[in-house]
This record gives sequence, structure tokens and C-alpha cells, in this order.
Amino acid sequence: MREQSWALSEDFGTPVVAVALGVLLVWLALLVWELRTRERFGVLIAVTGFLAAGFIGATILRPAHVSQRGSVVGSKVTVLVDGSRRLLLPDGDTTRRERAARAVKELTEHLEHARLEVLSFGQEGVRPYSERSSQEELSVDSDLVRALDAVNDSAGERPRAVIVVSDGRLAQPGEGADDEAVKQALGGLGVPIHTLNVASAQGPKDASIRGVRAAGAAVAHQALSVTVEIGCHRLNCGSVPVTIREMLRGEEPALLAEGKAEVRDDHATVELPIVLERAGPRVVEVSIASPPGDEVPENDSRLITFNVTRDRIRLLHVAGRPTYDVRALRMWLKADSSVDLVAFFILRTKENNSMSDDSEMALIPFPVDELFTEHLPSFDAIVLQDIDAEEYQLSRHLKSIETYVRAGGGLIMVGGPASFIGGNYAGTRLEQVLPVSLDPGKEPFTLSGFVPRYTPAGLAASVLRPLRTLLGITLPEMPGANTLGAAQAGSLVLWEHPTAKAGKAGDAAMPVLALREVGDGRSIALGVDGTHRLAFSQQAVSSAGRGYGALWEGLLGWLMRDPRYEAGSLELVGPCFAGQSTKLRVVPLTPGAGAVEIELTKLGTSSEKPIVKQVSGVTTTQPIEVDMGSLAVGGYTAKAKIGAAPPGRLDFACEKGGEAWQDSRPDPARLERIARVTQGKAVGLEDLSELPTPPESRVSVERHVRPVLAPWVWALAAVVSLGAHWLLRRRGGLT
Amino acid sequence: MLTRRSALLSGVGIAFAPSAALGFGGEGAFHPRVLKVGDGVLDPTRQEAPARWAWELVQRTSAPARIVTNMVAADHMDLLTEPFVVWAGDKAIEPLTRAEVRGLRQFLMLGGVMVVDDSAPASGKFGESVRRELRRVLPESPVVKLEDTHVIYKTYYIIDRPVGRELGPAHVDAIVRGKNAQVLLLSHDLLGALARNQGAWALPIEPGGERQRQYAIRLAVNLAMYVLCSDYKDDQVHAPWLMRRRARRRQ
Repeated sequence: MREQSWALSEDFGTPVVAVALGVLLVWLALLVWELRTRERFGVLIAVTGFLAAGFIGATILRPAHVSQRGSVVGSKVTVLVDGSRRLLLPDGDTTRRERAARAVKELTEHLEHARLEVLSFGQEGVRPYSERSSQEELSVDSDLVRALDAVNDSAGERPRAVIVVSDGRLAQPGEGADDEAVKQALGGLGVPIHTLNVASAQGPKDASIRGVRAAGAAVAHQALSVTVEIGCHRLNCGSVPVTIREMLRGEEPALLAEGKAEVRDDHATVELPIVLERAGPRVVEVSIASPPGDEVPENDSRLITFNVTRDRIRLLHVAGRPTYDVRALRMWLKADSSVDLVAFFILRTKENNSMSDDSEMALIPFPVDELFTEHLPSFDAIVLQDIDAEEYQLSRHLKSIETYVRAGGGLIMVGGPASFIGGNYAGTRLEQVLPVSLDPGKEPFTLSGFVPRYTPAGLAASVLRPLRTLLGITLPEMPGANTLGAAQAGSLVLWEHPTAKAGKAGDAAMPVLALREVGDGRSIALGVDGTHRLAFSQQAVSSAGRGYGALWEGLLGWLMRDPRYEAGSLELVGPCFAGQSTKLRVVPLTPGAGAVEIELTKLGTSSEKPIVKQVSGVTTTQPIEVDMGSLAVGGYTAKAKIGAAPPGRLDFACEKGGEAWQDSRPDPARLERIARVTQGKAVGLEDLSELPTPPESRVSVERHVRPVLAPWVWALAAVVSLGAHWLLRRRGGLT
Repeated sequence: MLTRRSALLSGVGIAFAPSAALGFGGEGAFHPRVLKVGDGVLDPTRQEAPARWAWELVQRTSAPARIVTNMVAADHMDLLTEPFVVWAGDKAIEPLTRAEVRGLRQFLMLGGVMVVDDSAPASGKFGESVRRELRRVLPESPVVKLEDTHVIYKTYYIIDRPVGRELGPAHVDAIVRGKNAQVLLLSHDLLGALARNQGAWALPIEPGGERQRQYAIRLAVNLAMYVLCSDYKDDQVHAPWLMRRRARRRQ
């Protein structure tokens, strides 16, 4: 398309042009008024006057020829495609995401004269849409307000219309927003917003967990009220059983609470109290029994990771007899305000004669059955110090203690003549969770003094860092040791005996201090009864006795998963969704770890082999991201072994849809409201052709401006004509 | 084969061995060492009293103890090998040397427990001079009277008041650091009540006779249990039992 036209100089704005023309017109009007009564040279004066005015005007305004070439193009239309995982919900034989892809194709055909900009929107604004984009790029939710703000703020041409492709269940504008609120939230762009509903008319028949809320933070041993919201869409749900279970490693899930939700008006809420006994990230499954006809069973359960904190560490300290070693540990534990200590010391045996009536004594019975049945789960850790399992009826509870440790409890066995083999623990269920094996045929302990030796793991372990920092690698001499066998699978020996050997071949040094991660719990074996020398001895003077606290702070801290005593931190890179790549980030706390090994195990009694990934050449404390591959739905525990140090652990959940799938109902009413208040149109996939086509725009691509005459010609003509006009006026008798 | 009991009993056999060679299970045993200050030595009549203290403890309780009498000098590093010492005497002591003051201060700063036993409470000169010297050792820690609810009255036996060879005052004075009574000052001649001579009690008990001696032994056992268990019997779990028993005793 080519067009010809003319224009005045573009140097001046309209006001200047108007003033110039106005002055010239006034001049001509005066001239006409002046010549009404004049006969001599009247015509010539008028002609030269008009010419002079014209040329002066042309000199000022400089008229020009304009020729331009251009084209008519379609208006820019922005298509915002819902990029939430919710669109992966099944919809008949397909999914809403596939229907959205079809909608984009059909929109491209329908609006062939428009320039379409297709974007995907989630929780954090917009990004270019691609039908083939991976599930990793999908977000949990979709926020239309943020998406429109992002479009509004972007540089370049603004769209003439926006088309929102979604199922309507948006994070914003919210479900309860009225017309005015929606208009305020979305009206900033000032263009019509059309909506295209990609969900089938009514949505699937579905009973689901719409939400799980906890009243406050989860604190170990304290009741936590969990509110479970249940929705029932196009189903007759009635009474729905609700179960909350904790996922454990190598164990069946532990039932925390169960109840029933009475569904009325397609909605129910049930509040269930749970008690999580172990601190750290704990994976909890909240599930409902699927009613018949449920088309989306995947959202009948949620896997929630609770980060359980501790108010105080609740610790059970049981000692078979009072000694200076027991005294040192008790005084240290009592001095720590973060420890809620429950202690039982055996102060009298059957052989003792107290020479008094029981009423004159301050002794209470050792409540062994009560402690190790009813109260056992309430403790974060138990310390067994120099107590004979058979003599004090502990034997019958060793299986419970084993279960307790595997379920996440902490166990420390501290040395003494009645510990380990001497305390009749060899061959028991408790031995199975100790870091060391016990051979009942061996002498229970050795009487010769020795100085424990750090192993390479002990030199690398964060758990002993406070002690190493304080004392270096010099340890006090110990007056003998319990006979400990070889380290069990998954154990790490931190101190060893310089001469005594362990293991069937007798080729390994005997462990003195060993740690073990077993099931969900942790255990420590300390095969000496002389660590009180770190608190009180000639050697302790130089450190003011702080060595004892440094040792036990590390041991108890590691047992309780205090991050300070882990070899590094372990975290998820983004949420874990089943079927997509899951990455873990490891941050070593000390440089020069060498190698990192991550072992990923599914929680529960799954027989699946753990996924093991190794990274070598780790020399700094820079974060390392390790791709663990695609995981199935479930709870997982990841153990990161950094160098020779004891492994750190992270429990997390992987869900199919998670929060995005908790409400499968489409919300066409919200889409209609959005369209109505912004002067747009709401359509479905089937009536997409009803969407209005925005008007075309004219776009100039080439424009030439050429002056009619050069400015000096106009000026010369103006001077000549003005001169002639002046001469004629003089001849005609005008001044 | 080594057993736990053999390890406990080994305490007798290793009585005079250096502490590093005490053996497994024996090193943490209660050991009433006698503090030697200057040229002072324990009155010969009471020399076996610490061993008797340990013997009574082993007989009556599950606690292991070393049935020996060891002297340890206030200015010797051996003072810092174990957290308990008894300072007994019957006459005023000379001012402590600087080394002795430093040794005792280190002992108490590390958390050691000391029982000061006045063998002649009637004169009180020993007790007064020890208090004077303790003000040099711990100038910031005054001597206070322990409440009758203090844990030393219930660590093993429920006792109403302290007694020794003499009836003495109905309370115990102490120097308390933090939450712990670290120096217990007795004006009852406790070692006198425990002293043995050729298989018999060495000294008569006044005014309560043998019954009072039994209460003195109970006090000694309680003090040993306090050294070994600190405030264990103050734990909440014991409170209802102890309240019931005390109420029954009053009836």
C-alpha cells in the first residue's frame, strides 16, 4: 500500500502554526478592508499583498510532499495459558493440559490475522509457552493477577486483548472475589480479557483432601491439631474415614490418628490431634478411603513433611550404680537447660543391707516396665549406663528399645562393668541396633589402662569437632574398656583401642566409640567409663573441665540430628513430584571431603534397592546438586555421606499432584466473571470460534518527506512580493 | 572370667595403687580421700574412718567405693584426680600456703566436693580456721546454712538432721556454687562416729549412743550419694514418694 500527501513543517507544534496562520489572516483581512474604497492599483495591491502573505506563510511553515508505504496488520493478542500442575488432572480420556494445547492450536487458526503472543503463567509471572515444556516447569498454582502485571510491565507493544486459557481454579483472583475486586485486580491493562475454559463442563467425580492445616508448629512430644478438609464433587460420600500415619524407614507406617468426616454440602472438615515423637523432617501421610466412583484417586492422600522442632530434649538416663562417671554425665545433663532429664539410678541391690526400714529411705522402685512400655516413645533418647539388663528386668524390654531406635529414637550405651557383654546385652535384640557387635564368649572388659586413638572418621567427624578444637587429638587415659566387637553395617568408629582387636579375624582395632544410623534412629556405643576425666582430672585443668561438655554436646547433638554436628547440610532443590527429576543439594561443612555419596531409600517396608549416587573430587564447601532421577510417589530418606564423616539425613515426600490436585473442580463461573468485568467474552473449548477478533492495525514501514520548494526560494519570493506590494502601495497613496 | 562383681571388689586390692591403674569399674568408685594441709595429719584414732565410710557405703548401697584411706595434699596435683576430699581436724590450722590455696581453688572450680569435718566441735577452732582459709580460696562464695529440704537429707536415707560423734547443730553449713553445695561444713565429728579400732568402734557417741551412730552413718552414706548422684533425689519423679514417706514419719 502506497499513499501520497503533503504536510507542513514538523519543526513547529500546532500552536505555532495556528498563531502564524492567524497573523496572516488578520493581515489579509486588514488589506481587504483597506482596499474597499481604493480604485487606483487596488487589484495589484491586493494581489501582491496576498502573494506576500502566502510566501511569508510558506517561508515559515515550509510545505512538503509526503509519500509513505505501509501495511495493515492484525492486533497483538496475548494468550495466557495456565501453567499449573493442576492442568495435569485427568479430564475424560485426556488431561486439561492437553486440552489447553489444543485450545492454543485452535486459537492460532481462529485468530489468524492477529499477532498471538502465547505465554504460560504460574505462581511467579509469565514465561513463553511451549506445548512440549517439561513437567518440571509447571508450578503448583496459577496467579492471573501477577501474570497480567508482568504483561503490563513488559516493554514493547501492549496487547489489544488477552485470552486466558485455564480451568478457572486460579490462586488469584480468588474464589470469593466480587466483580469490583476482580476489576480492580485485573483492570490495569485496560484491554478486554477473554477466557477459555479447558475443563470439561462439570469436572471429574472426585473425593479429595482439599487441605491439611496444622495449628502452629510441630513440636516433638506435643499434641498438634491437624485439620483435614475434604471435598466431594459429584459423589455421594457420606461418612469418609480419615487416617494420619507417619512414614518410617524399614517399618510399616505408624498410625498417628484416625477419624471420620461427615460430608455435608460436598464438604467436610475433621480435626485430628497427632503427636510426633521425633524431631526433624517427618513425612506424614494423610489419607481418606476412596468412595466408589472416585475418578481421581491420586488426591485421596497427601504426603506432608512436618519439620518437627524440639522444645527440649527429653532424655532418659538409666544407670546401674552411682559412680563418678554417672555423676559427671548427670551434672552435665542437668546443667543444660535444653534437656528435660528423667533419671533412674539403681541405688540398692538385693545384696545390700541398708540397715533400716524402707520407710526411712528415699528410694523408689525402678519402674522398668512403665518406663520401657508406656513412656518409652516420649523420650528423644535413652542413655543406658552400666546397668545389667537381666538383673534389673531390662531384658524383657530390649525388643521394645530396638523398635524404639528403629522408629527414630536415640540410644547411647555408656561403658562400665555392667554394660555391653557384662550387662548381658550380647545376642539380644538391642545388640542389633548397637553400632558394634557383642560376642558373649569373650571377657566382658579389659582392666588395662589405655589412651583411645582417633580413627580417620573420628578426625573428620563434626560430632567430635568441639572436642578436637578444645583438646586437639590428645585424649585422657582410660582405666580399661568394655570388650566391643566389630562395627556393624552402617556404623562408623570414631575412637579405637590402640592394642585390643575385634572381629572374627582379629585384624581390626577394637572400637571404643562408634556411631550408627539404624532405621529411623541413631545409636552410640561408648565402651569406656572414664570420660569423666575430661571433666575432672589433672588433664582437665587446662581446659577448665570443658572437654567433657564438648564430647557430650557433640554426641547428644549428633544423636538428636543437630545440624552443627552433621557433616553437611542436605536439602531438596524444589519440591519433589513423582515422575520427574528430583535434585538434592549437598553443602559440605568442611572443605576437602573428597567424595560425597548419597543413598536414597524409600520409607516403609519397600524392597526396592536404594538409589546410590556418588560425586568425587569434592574439595570445597560449595553446594553440590545431585540428580537422583525420577521417583515414584512416596516418602524418602536421603543419607549423604560426606567423606569419612557420619552421614547426614533428610526425609522428604514425593507426590503425584500434591497441593495442585487437591481441588479438581473447574471454576467456569470465575472465568465468566473475569471476562464480564473486563468487557471480554467467556467461551469453552467447543465454542472458541465465538471469541471476537480484535480490529486490525495500520503499520507504516516507509515514509518520505520532500519540501515543495527550498526554504530560501520561499523567502526570496516573499521578499520580492512584499517589495512589489510596498511599491504599489506607495504609488497608490497608501503608507 | 572377669565379672562386674570382681571388678567392684577389685577396689580393695588396688587400694594403694596409683590412680591410673585402678582398673575398669573402680576408677569411678567413691573414695573418701583425706586432705592434707601443711604438716597436719589425720588424728590416728580416726585414720580408719574414711575406709569405714566406704565400707558402709558398699554394704548399704549399690555404689562402688574404695575401702582405703588415702591422704592427698592440697598443693599436690593428685588432688585433681578425683572429685571428693574430706578435710578433718581438731585444732586451728595455720594459714594455707599460696600453692594450697591455688590447689583447693582448682579443685573446687572443676566441680569437686569437699566435706569439712570438725573433730572437736566443742572448741570449734578447726571449723573457724577452715572458714577463714576458705574465704581466701573462694572469696566470692560465702558460707550459708543449708535448708533442711536440701537434697543431702534425702539422697539415700531420709534424715531429719545431721549428727556425728556429737549431736552438734541441727543444720549443715555450706559453700554453694551455682546450684551445687560444694563445701559442706560439719560440726558433728562425723569421722569420729565412723572411726574403728581393732574391730570395734573407736569412740563413744554422745549423747545418743549407738542409735546416734547409726544416724551418723546414714549421714555419711547420704553425703557419699550426694557426691555420686548430686541432686538426683530432687528430681520431680521422686517428689510424691518422698512427700508421702515424710508425712508417714511425722505421724
